[in-house]
Amino acid sequence: MPTLMWIQTGACGGDSMSILCADSPSLENLLDSHKVDLLWHPSLSHSSTKKLKNTIQSICDGAIPLDILCVEGSIVTAPNGSGMYDTFAKQPKMQIIEQLAQKAEVVVAMGTCAAFGGIHAAPPNPSECIGLQFDKAEPGGLLSSEWRSSQNLPVINVSGCPAHPNTMTKTLAMLLLGMPLPLDHLNRPQAFFNTLVHQGCTRNEYHEYDIEEHIPGGRGCMFFNLGCRGPVTQAICNTELWNGRSSKTRVGVPCFGCTSPDFPLDHDLFKTEKLGNTPTQLPAGVERAKYMAYKNLARAAAPERVANKKMQP
Amino acid sequence: MAMQTIDIDLNRVEGDLEFQLDVEEGVVVDARCIGVMYRGFEQILIGRTPRDAVVITPRVCGICGTAHMYSGVLALEQIWQVPVPPNATRIRNLCLMAETIQSDLRQTFLMFTVDFCNPSYQKKAFFDEALTVFEPFKGKCHLEALEYSKKILEVVAIFGGQWPHSSYMLPGGVVTEPTTRRIIECTDLVDQLIRWYERSIIGCSLSHFLSLTTADDFFSWLEEKPEHSQSAIGYLTRISRELGLHEIGLGAPNMISYGAYCIPEQWLPPYTAPQHLVESGFYNAATQSIETLDHQKINEHVRHSWYYPYEGGLHPWQGETIPDYIPSSDRYTWTKAPRYEEKVTQTGPMAELLIGRNPLTTSLYSKENGNTWLRQFTRIYRVGENLLRMHKTLMDLAKYTNDPHYEHPPENSEVDGAGFGLIQAARGSLGHWIKIKNGVIEKYQIVTPTAWNASPKDSIGQRGHWEESVIGLPLQDPDNPLEIGHVVRSHDPCLVCTVHLLPTGKRITYGL
Repeated sequence: MPTLMWIQTGACGGDSMSILCADSPSLENLLDSHKVDLLWHPSLSHSSTKKLKNTIQSICDGAIPLDILCVEGSIVTAPNGSGMYDTFAKQPKMQIIEQLAQKAEVVVAMGTCAAFGGIHAAPPNPSECIGLQFDKAEPGGLLSSEWRSSQNLPVINVSGCPAHPNTMTKTLAMLLLGMPLPLDHLNRPQAFFNTLVHQGCTRNEYHEYDIEEHIPGGRGCMFFNLGCRGPVTQAICNTELWNGRSSKTRVGVPCFGCTSPDFPLDHDLFKTEKLGNTPTQLPAGVERAKYMAYKNLARAAAPERVANKKMQP
Repeated sequence: MAMQTIDIDLNRVEGDLEFQLDVEEGVVVDARCIGVMYRGFEQILIGRTPRDAVVITPRVCGICGTAHMYSGVLALEQIWQVPVPPNATRIRNLCLMAETIQSDLRQTFLMFTVDFCNPSYQKKAFFDEALTVFEPFKGKCHLEALEYSKKILEVVAIFGGQWPHSSYMLPGGVVTEPTTRRIIECTDLVDQLIRWYERSIIGCSLSHFLSLTTADDFFSWLEEKPEHSQSAIGYLTRISRELGLHEIGLGAPNMISYGAYCIPEQWLPPYTAPQHLVESGFYNAATQSIETLDHQKINEHVRHSWYYPYEGGLHPWQGETIPDYIPSSDRYTWTKAPRYEEKVTQTGPMAELLIGRNPLTTSLYSKENGNTWLRQFTRIYRVGENLLRMHKTLMDLAKYTNDPHYEHPPENSEVDGAGFGLIQAARGSLGHWIKIKNGVIEKYQIVTPTAWNASPKDSIGQRGHWEESVIGLPLQDPDNPLEIGHVVRSHDPCLVCTVHLLPTGKRITYGL
């Protein structure tokens, strides 16, 4: 019976709420199908913190094996590296996580906070937050870059703010099934982070013909002016829909790049940073001169139904 | 006289709380409510573009992000005096109602009723029934709450793209068109929820249930048919009352509600006296009257909080949140102490319904006061009301599909100034107070519902509401104080909570 423990650190609980929305597989089915022994989850466990404390102790003593440790939330290190701004039973959470990580077969960072520091690490980083194995995109997390779990894996970063529900349950399913889990350069599972948010966006035809919105609320593409990071952000938001229904870009909310280590960006989130007339950051891997040429041609080729924004995304 | 100190951990969505109780001869004589996490959200917002608030603030809370976004956007609209098309307010309300229903269902069936399955109740007559209905991942209501709380959130995804943490509300409206496809999909979801609510939660038609207006009506209804007494609300009520939960956990007698759901046609500049579908107000217990809400009467104290000290209380526009962590002192929490006219005040669904003059709530309150059972009952009762409101909102949208959903603020309207946005979130009254200077956020102060309820003592030593609600409570078994768990969880601390005791230097931990 595989064991799973879910601990929250400096968190809003959004990843827990998100995983309750998973549908393929759902959390309930995942736990049931794999007969997972859920040692602890702060919102789902009905057992007591007495049991939690005993369980933590037993894991540290080696009496209970810990197959999967999920961490949700930034690692709070303030004040002065003591971690006392975030405690459980008078002990800094960062210390508890460090102890449990040494015993876990696999450690999974659920969400951008646990992976890279996330929103709490935004300037001025009042509670001195870091990620489990990263500080933004750099080494400097709670665990060293060389750190490996008992299964010889680095922390698996299921980033996102919150992490996509099915990215979380599918990652856990792969681990429970013992399937290989190739990771990208930020230790995110490739299966979910080798896709751009742009792929599957229903505004793609507008992007294709360079019909760009200047104000929110419209039907066109949001990449050039409204801060959308869909073409530069790896996530499955538009290939596996949220809550089984939609995505931010489909309804007209720009992608803020929440699976990336630099989320949230320091500048205006609803405005695209530009170099001349084009975004500073072009779609992943694109060459600027060729892109400009393509865009100029594309706009000239736009059919009226697209140019006049007749098409509902 | 032997005094014990009991520590209770409250693991909540927004963070963690610890509750420390002094117990003398089995009775709680003092309490300290301790917020044990500090994240510094308000500081992260300073210096940012005002609009970024709708991206940053939903992340304050994973369970009520829609409410935070809505508060922030109302504050910006007040500062900039930009008009909002009625369709935008309809869509905002629809999504907030869906989020509130989600939270009410999860709080009731994933957090509160789980306690009835505690092995300590094994000998009670209700125990077997409690397991059948409420046991985690097995009981009928637990499983259905998981399913239907997920389903209602699809409404937010249809208009907002995803739940949690989207940013579809902006000053001037929402980004999403109310297309007929969206309206039909949402109506179908709401209809599914209504059918389930009728079948499982109340065991009768929603219109019949909502027609009960007095305590007598309700208690006769409960006994009238097995469908009623064996509905979720029937089990919840009967078990709660058998345990005496209708007699404990009163807390602060004053209540506050910022009013639920802006009236779409009336959310317009100058935004000085917003009208709501459920009226706002302050219930003054001393005069037993509902007074007009005035945000200027709100202030926050930090005398017992780990923030840089100041005298008395400060209005949120003047508020400061500078951490000053001094563990070994009489300051004991990261929560500030909000007060209304310097009075300790509670908020939540019971306050919302009482101040909104819901007849059944008013009648039950007059009969038995604001007790633990009533607090929980109003939360699940409100789900029914909100489902009907969602249906009506969708029908209104269907009438006006061609009307605008967004009006971009005119050039030069994004001026400096101060504003506030007040909302009823699932857990109660939520306010954002913003000051803009030189085009960026100069000050951002958030007063959450939990700050009202979980506040520490203030400058003049008045205890917070949760603290007050357990004073005088006799504990049947101080080594396993189940009563505390029921009282505390009825205040919606979001997640599970547990107890550890510190008697005579020996730490023993007990779960609730």
